[in-house]
Amino acid sequence: MIKAATLLAAQEGEYNPLLPHAYELVIGTLAFAVVAFVLIKVLTPRIQKTLAERTEAIEGGIRRAEEAQAEAQALQQQYREQLAEARQEAARLREEAREQAAQLKAELREEAQAEARRIIEAAHAQIEADRQQAFAQLRTEIGRLSTELAGRIVGESLEDEARQRRTIDRFLDELEASSQQAVR
Amino acid sequence: MSEQERRPEDDGRDFADAAWSVPSYLLAGMAIYGGIGWLLDRWLGTSAFFLIGIVLGTVLAGYLCYRKFGR
Amino acid sequence: MTALTLLAADPDKFTPPTPQELFELAPIAGIGWLTKPVLLAILSSIIVIAFCWSAFSKPKLVPRGIQNVAEIGYTFVRDQVARPFLGKDADRWMGLLLTLFFLIWVWNLMGVVPVLQFPVASHIAFPAILALTIYVLKIYLGIKHQGAIGYFKNMMFPPGVPKAMYILLSPLEFASNMILAPFTHAVRLFANMFAGHMLLAFFSLVGFWFLFEQLTPLGAPIGVLGVVMTIVFTALELLIQFLQAFLFAMLAAMYIGGALHPEH
Repeated sequence: MIKAATLLAAQEGEYNPLLPHAYELVIGTLAFAVVAFVLIKVLTPRIQKTLAERTEAIEGGIRRAEEAQAEAQALQQQYREQLAEARQEAARLREEAREQAAQLKAELREEAQAEARRIIEAAHAQIEADRQQAFAQLRTEIGRLSTELAGRIVGESLEDEARQRRTIDRFLDELEASSQQAVR
Repeated sequence: MSEQERRPEDDGRDFADAAWSVPSYLLAGMAIYGGIGWLLDRWLGTSAFFLIGIVLGTVLAGYLCYRKFGR
Repeated sequence: MTALTLLAADPDKFTPPTPQELFELAPIAGIGWLTKPVLLAILSSIIVIAFCWSAFSKPKLVPRGIQNVAEIGYTFVRDQVARPFLGKDADRWMGLLLTLFFLIWVWNLMGVVPVLQFPVASHIAFPAILALTIYVLKIYLGIKHQGAIGYFKNMMFPPGVPKAMYILLSPLEFASNMILAPFTHAVRLFANMFAGHMLLAFFSLVGFWFLFEQLTPLGAPIGVLGVVMTIVFTALELLIQFLQAFLFAMLAAMYIGGALHPEH
């Protein structure tokens, strides 16, 4: 048909642009087939693979960045918690120390007071003992002095020791009773 | 393609479909029904069927396009 | 045509270039099949393969130079052509769509490359080959994915139409999908390149004729206008060349998508 049409066109001497040349069909087919083969079989798969890898890389990068950010946030959160915990601990320790100090102070004060009391009591006891001793000494002394005095007054008449002692004792008791009344 | 599978790019596709199919249908309508009319004219020795065929073909093509793309 | 031939006989008159002059080119070096478009088609294939090879043969994760440029083309075809029509099947057809887009664009660009200046696709054979390939692929995929009966049933009996209307509408669907679709697919590209080349040739010839061949005070402004229009139309042509390459690939994706999944 093409040949007939070409013949027809040649006969009329006119150019019909809608009638293809046979050799152009052949060359066109070959030219198209070669390009199509190379692009479809070789080059398109390669670029598609690369584009897929690039997408993967970009998405991977984004994912990694997100992971890093999440990790950083977790870390920050952890730090914050630890810091809060440490602050709380410090406050607790301070409170404890203050309590201990207060307790210690109270104990010390009590001890000191007890010591003071003890010293005062000891002093009182010493004074009492001293007084007793002084009193005892005084009694002996007074007894001797009185005996001597009485002997001088009465002379040798009071040599009877028993009588002498009884008299002295009675005198002393009376003296003591009167002196105790005076002390009070 | 069913309705639930539709994606946003389907709208562009539909538009292009319509834009390229409508002239094709109009041309086909005129050619087929105009051709039938022309044959009838030759056979019957009349001259009206060619024009009627062309108009009929155009109207049918328009109707078809309306049905396919109009909504 | 006869009027033009008469005009051409007069060497002093301006004759616009005829399609025959522009598109029927003499064989190079006496070899019958070796014409300018054939040579340019081979050159285009070499250019596309060389370009894509240097960009994609050892692709880097971080693109550089040519890979960067080619990746723009890749993502353009993927996002604007493949994904809208093929959805999740887009990647499987990227090779074919890239081939169509790059090859047609380079074919078209041959129309404005100085010295070469001939759009390969302005010879119908080249777009026809591509459209035919897509047409065969479309039918093969349709039958494979929807079954022979299912494919034609889905095509010719669209839902949402009263049953009686099928008698009138089914032939229309069939003609539109099976006859007009591949034809317009090829002819759209061909006609654009054909007309574009005609316009460029016409305006540049106007400029050349009135400024160099027959310089007259009256003709000179026309010649200047011709040069200006050549520049303007070259810019326009660059846009159309890209657009037609994009459209051809887009329609191919649309046909493949339609064959994989019946229309909804």
